[in-house]
Amino acid sequence: MGQDTAVEEVLEFIWSERESGRSSVAALLEIEEVKKEADRSTLDAMCADGLITVESDTVTLTNTGESLAREAIRRHRLAERLLTEVLAMDEESMEKNACSFEHTLTPEVAESICTLIGHPPTCPHGLPIPKGNCCLSTRSEISPLVNPLDRLKVGETGRIIFIVSKQHTRLDKLSTLGIVPGSVVRVHQKRPAFVLQHGETTLALDIDIVKEIYVKTVN
Amino acid sequence: MHATDKKEDSPGAKLPKLALVGNPNVGKSVIFGALTGRYATVSNYPGTTVEVSRGPARLKGTDIELIDSPGINSLVPMSEDEQVTRDILLDEEITSVLQVLDSKNIRRGLLITIQLLEMGLPLTLALNMYDEAGERGISINLKGFSDALNLNVIPTIATQGWNLDKIQNVLTLNRVTKSTLKYPKDIEAAIDSIAELLPETRISRRSIAMMILSGDSTIDGWLKKNLDTESIEKIWSINAAMESRYSEPVGYLINRIRLTAADKLLAKVITKKEPSGSKFAGFIGNISMHPVWGIPLLLVVLYLMYQFVGVLGAGYAVDFVEEFIFGRFVNPWSRRVVEYVLPSGLIHDLIVGQYGIITMAFTYAIAIVMPIVSFFFIFFSILEDSGYLPRLAIMVDKIFRLMGLNGKAVLPMVLGLGCDTMATMTTRILETRKERIIVTLLLALGVPCSAQLGVILGMLSSISLMATVVWMFSVITIIFIVGFLSSKIVPGDTSDFIMEVPPMRIPMMKNVILKTIVRVEWYLKEALPLFVLGTLVLFILDRTQALSALEVVTGPLVVGFLGLPIEATEAFIVGFLRRDYGAAGLLSLQRAGMLDAVQSVVSLVTITLFVPCIANMFIIIKERGLATALIITAFIFPFAIFAGGVLNFILRSLGVTF
Repeated sequence: MGQDTAVEEVLEFIWSERESGRSSVAALLEIEEVKKEADRSTLDAMCADGLITVESDTVTLTNTGESLAREAIRRHRLAERLLTEVLAMDEESMEKNACSFEHTLTPEVAESICTLIGHPPTCPHGLPIPKGNCCLSTRSEISPLVNPLDRLKVGETGRIIFIVSKQHTRLDKLSTLGIVPGSVVRVHQKRPAFVLQHGETTLALDIDIVKEIYVKTVN
Repeated sequence: MHATDKKEDSPGAKLPKLALVGNPNVGKSVIFGALTGRYATVSNYPGTTVEVSRGPARLKGTDIELIDSPGINSLVPMSEDEQVTRDILLDEEITSVLQVLDSKNIRRGLLITIQLLEMGLPLTLALNMYDEAGERGISINLKGFSDALNLNVIPTIATQGWNLDKIQNVLTLNRVTKSTLKYPKDIEAAIDSIAELLPETRISRRSIAMMILSGDSTIDGWLKKNLDTESIEKIWSINAAMESRYSEPVGYLINRIRLTAADKLLAKVITKKEPSGSKFAGFIGNISMHPVWGIPLLLVVLYLMYQFVGVLGAGYAVDFVEEFIFGRFVNPWSRRVVEYVLPSGLIHDLIVGQYGIITMAFTYAIAIVMPIVSFFFIFFSILEDSGYLPRLAIMVDKIFRLMGLNGKAVLPMVLGLGCDTMATMTTRILETRKERIIVTLLLALGVPCSAQLGVILGMLSSISLMATVVWMFSVITIIFIVGFLSSKIVPGDTSDFIMEVPPMRIPMMKNVILKTIVRVEWYLKEALPLFVLGTLVLFILDRTQALSALEVVTGPLVVGFLGLPIEATEAFIVGFLRRDYGAAGLLSLQRAGMLDAVQSVVSLVTITLFVPCIANMFIIIKERGLATALIITAFIFPFAIFAGGVLNFILRSLGVTF
């Protein structure tokens, strides 16, 4: 592994530790993946490069470090989405691939992937994917492969690629009605409530739920 | 609407128990009715059965106890009615299970089949609505299906009785097949380690372990009954460890694996062609939930109801029964008979006097309310069986959101038009406590039951359509305001709106008539005794001069505030027993020319909002607890009077005369 890769990995872990409310240097260096590639001297070098600051046991990202970490996390989580949901890889091989894959992505490629899979808000583990420029601009040059279900027109059919919901009961309930990734649904109407057709089942749903269901249009 | 006779025949001797289980709206109750010969309410919307019905049946010479259960989408319950079904399988000595599947929706049925197999229960499948699958171009390789599952599969069309004779053999057909479905390694490991801690049960420990891992909180009670605290803690810690390992809920992962297995199986045995058959019902179905056309259709439905129940039922039919049958024959004849035996005195007055059992209670219950109720139930049964009601939920979802509810809550609310008592039980289909409380309150407050509604429509139709519109608008506005305010007060959440919409069907006259007869019979059984009781109360109040004393006390309120004649007090007194009795009292006042148009509308709005009837009170106490029931009543009674007074003031100030 090159030095850059190690730095990127460390930045990513500082970011994800921070998401869980932690910032301990000791704990950071104990993480297995970090251990493999970095040690105290890596952190010192990063301090010198102005990416992080370390005060006793607390590590903080500088502005430069922040934006680098943000990009790295974004690439990693986009890679995970792409591999699991679109290429249907299982959890183990997905992690392995995502880790090496992310470091080779240029910002342009990352944007294309993000657009292609419909600007997913979270990774398969449910963690937020930082937004890129492509997510913020309204015009889409590449028409996305995966869209939230509510973007489909009435009468169009889509195969569910993933469902992002923080509410567990919602996912459970949808699954008992047969609404899971892989299921094919047709938009029957959008107002006054969203109605979709799944096989011979007709379901009425809140628009909030529909927005969490991402589909790939099929003809 | 008569699900109260469930206790009477749990026979002493232990009969084999056969449980009917399946998704909502697949026809379990039709099969139950056919096998037991007794009627279970059948409609075309999910959630008709919210509690268990039991009945004896004789299958090929063996006596069994047949159990009809509320529909489920999974054996990991999400609402109270689903839990009822799971608990039957968990706690009772079920000999075997007949799973009823919708032939055009086998995939979702299989999700339950897999869970039943995992439980290790002897099982047979009935592929019901086999004709509808055919009409939709779905053909099923029955042999292949049966072989793949290693279960016996019977295609049926329950409403026509087709192939139900084959179900007679179910006790010899059922098989125990082990599910071979495997889950990811760590889930399997967690299943095993939880299963080891569980006590020996009738259903497999593996299946209970899977319920726990699927995040089933309702099983906690069962665990506490059957296990020591230490093991329970261990179980929940294994569960917590699994939950933290996956970002997605484990129950969802498990269901995904089950559905994948179902899809693999179905790919081999199902072929789909272009559908044939009539599109008319589907067309009406689409219109009824259309954002634009849905509203005129709703108005047409309401207008038809007004014409059929109000004008035809409450007008012509009541005229005939009250004036002709009771006015010419029953009342004069019974008067003559009683006068012959007892020319005057207490008994004479008690039977045929002003507050007589025949001249008041029977006349109100049979001559006025019964014809109206019958007309209403015919109309309502047609609506229920067509599949129109769940489509209403789609139309009103957004408005119901403002009342802290989702569109699904329209089902118990509309059922309240049949009977508020039964509708209060149907609130079990709602998922959160908040929703159940709000709907219970709104039912008790503002949804008139069939008898009351019929009488009200009868009175209003004799004034004008405008009066009907004002009455309806007032009641709906009040329901909305109270709902809106209570959504702010009652703590808790509103659940997601995820609702299955059944296909539109042309109602079968046989079921409509049967259902109407059962309901009218139920009405007479329940209402007549209360009408007699109410008459007795009035009779005693009248004899002891308490009535006039009461009228003096309530005079300022009834006459001054509501602007009604003092005789209306009587109607409100009996209204405490049943609101329809109160409404019937108002109707006879109106017929006697004692209420003008504005007075009629004001008194009707007041009686519509009046306290829930005794039966409804009991159910509210049973379902929601005494404290909630008391709070609801304490709110409703003064509020009804207040709303009536305000309406009186508004109508008088505007000089409305209808």
